[in-house]
Amino acid sequence: MGRYIIRRLLQALLLLALLSVGMFLLIHALPGGPEQVLFNPRLSAAGRAAIRARFGLDQPLYIQYLKWLGNALVGDFGFSFVTNQPVSELLTERFPATLELFSFALVLALILAITIGVISAVRQGSVTDYGLTTLSYFGIAMPVFLLGLFAQNIFGVWLHILPVSGTSTLGFTYDPFNAFLDRFEHLILPMLVLAVSFIAGWSRYMRASMIEVSKQDYMRTARAKGVAPVPLLIRHALRNAVIPLITVVALDFGQVAGGATITEGVFAWPGMGLLFLDSLTNRDFPVLLAMLMISAVFVIGFNLIADLLYGVMDPRIRYS
Amino acid sequence: MDISERLNVPSTGEEIEPFLEVTPQLVQQRRSQGRIIFDRFIRNRAAIVGAIFLILLFLFCFVGPLVTTHNQPDQIHVTDVAQTLAGPSWQFPFGTDDTGRDMMARAMAGGQVSLLIALISMFMAVIVGVSIGAFAGFYGGIIDTLLMRFTDVILSVPLYLLLFVLSASFTDGSPKSVILLISFFGWQYAARLVRGEFLSLREREYVLAARTIGAKGFRIMFRHILPNAAGPIIVNATLLIGVNIILESVMSYFGFGIKPPNSSWGTLVSDGQGFFDVDPLLLMVPALLIFFTVLSVNLVGDGLRDALDPYMTER
Repeated sequence: MGRYIIRRLLQALLLLALLSVGMFLLIHALPGGPEQVLFNPRLSAAGRAAIRARFGLDQPLYIQYLKWLGNALVGDFGFSFVTNQPVSELLTERFPATLELFSFALVLALILAITIGVISAVRQGSVTDYGLTTLSYFGIAMPVFLLGLFAQNIFGVWLHILPVSGTSTLGFTYDPFNAFLDRFEHLILPMLVLAVSFIAGWSRYMRASMIEVSKQDYMRTARAKGVAPVPLLIRHALRNAVIPLITVVALDFGQVAGGATITEGVFAWPGMGLLFLDSLTNRDFPVLLAMLMISAVFVIGFNLIADLLYGVMDPRIRYS
Repeated sequence: MDISERLNVPSTGEEIEPFLEVTPQLVQQRRSQGRIIFDRFIRNRAAIVGAIFLILLFLFCFVGPLVTTHNQPDQIHVTDVAQTLAGPSWQFPFGTDDTGRDMMARAMAGGQVSLLIALISMFMAVIVGVSIGAFAGFYGGIIDTLLMRFTDVILSVPLYLLLFVLSASFTDGSPKSVILLISFFGWQYAARLVRGEFLSLREREYVLAARTIGAKGFRIMFRHILPNAAGPIIVNATLLIGVNIILESVMSYFGFGIKPPNSSWGTLVSDGQGFFDVDPLLLMVPALLIFFTVLSVNLVGDGLRDALDPYMTER
C-alpha cells in the first residue's frame, strides 16, 4: 500500500507539471487580454503595449511560463492584475470561506444522504421510498439559484429568522462567542442549499447500491445466523454498498477549490467560486493560474483518497 | 417461494410460466435474456408510468406543434405592451411571455432542443465513461494509470474556463457542438464509478468461475461484471439528464447552443426568473417540464435497474 501511495504521489507531481503547461496555454488562449478588459478601451496602441510590458505579457509565452514556474515553486504566485494584492493573500482570504461552506455541507449531506438512501432501500417500493424519491427528484430538477431564492424568501423575508447574505452582520461588533454565532447564522442558508444538491444525488447512489447488496447471499446468511438488523445494515451491507458513494463524494468534494459559484453568488458568500468568475472575466492571469493549480491538487488528491478508501472498505481490492 | 404462489401470477400468455421452477432449462430455451428483462420491466408499474410520461413529453414537444396551432414560438402575438405577460387563456394555455410570444409554442420548441441534447449527450457520456472505467478497473496496472490520470486531467479543467476560451473560436453553436461539449464534461463520473465497481467486482468468485471455463476479457467485462455494476451507472445516467438540461442553458449564456429568438427549457427558466414576481408561470412552466422529465427518466431508470438485476426474483 505504501509503495502504491508513493507511486500515486509521483504521478500526481508529473500530472500537475503537465497541467500547469496546459492551463497556462489555455489561459493565454482566452479572447482579449487584461489590458483590453480592465483598462480604457480608447487607450492608444502604445498605451496598451506599455501595460502589456508592465505585466510582462509582451515576452514569449515560454519565458513567461518559466518565470511563473520559477516563482510558483517557491510559493510566489505573483500579484493580481486587478487589486495588485499578492495572489497568496487573496487566496488565504477566500479559501477558508469556501472550505467552511463545503465542509459543513459535506458533513450534513453525508449523514442525510446515507440515511435517506438506506431507508429508501430497506423500504423499497413503500410510500416512504416513493416520498423520499420524489423529494430527491425535486432537488435534482430544481436549479440551485432558484432554490437559493426560495430559501432566502422563506427564511429571510417571511420568517425573519435567518440572514440572507454575507458572512456577518455589518455595523456590529460582537464578543467572540456572539461573533461565532453570527457567522454560523449566516452560514446556514448557503450550506443548506449546497447540501440539498449533494443529498439529492448521493442518496440515489446509496439507495441503488444498498438494494443490490441486500439481495446478496451473504446477507441472508448473516441474517440466518441471527445478526440484528442494525449491525447487519451497517457492518455487512453498508460497507459493501459504499464504493459508488465514495467515488461520487470524492468527485464532488474535489471541486471545493473551484468553489460553489452559483450558491456563493446567490448568498454573496465571499468564496473561491466568485473569485474565479471575477478573475476569469477580468483576465486576471496570476489569480486564475493559482486557482486552477490549487483546484487540480484537490481533484487529484480526493481521487487518490477515494482509491485508498476503496481498499479500506473492500479488502479484496488490490492495486498490483 | 412455493409453486402455488407463482400460479396466482397473471399469465402473460406463456402457459409454460408455472414450470419455471420445475424445469428451468425448458423455460430458458423459450425466453431469451432480453425477453426476461423486458417482461420484468413491463410488470413494474412505476417504470411503465415513467415510460408513458416520457412518451407523452416527446409527443408534446415533437408532435404538438404539428397538430395544434402552437407552432410559432418566435411570433409576437400580443403587440399591446400592456397585454404581454398574459395569464393562461384558451388561446394561450401557458400565457404569453414579456414580448407577447406564445409560451406553449415556446415550451414545445424548447423541449425539442432540451430533450434531444440531454438524451444524446447522456448516452454519449455514459458509453464513453463506462468503456473507459471498465477497461481501467478490469485490467488495472498501466492501463488503469493512463486512463484514470487522463480522467483527472479532464476533471481539473473547469467548464467555465473552457467555455470562455472556446466562445471566441468556436462560433457555430449548432446543437452538434453543444452535444459534444456537454458529453465531454459528462463522462468522468461514469468512468470513475464504473472503475470503482470493477475494482471490487473483478475479485468476486463468479469472475474466477467465468475465467475457469475459459471466458476472455471482453466477455467477462461486459457479460459478467457490467450487469452487476448497473445500479450506479443507471443512477448516473438518470442524474445526467437533469444536469444536461441545465448545462445547456449555461452554454447558451456563453453564446453556444441555441440563440435567441429560439428557446430551450433551460433558457426559458433563466429568462423566466427575471419575471418571477410579475408572472411566476414563465418560470414554473419550463421548470415543471424539466422536473417531469427528470422524474420519468428516473422511474424508467429504476425499472431498468430492477429488470437487469440478476438477483431480482420474479414477482
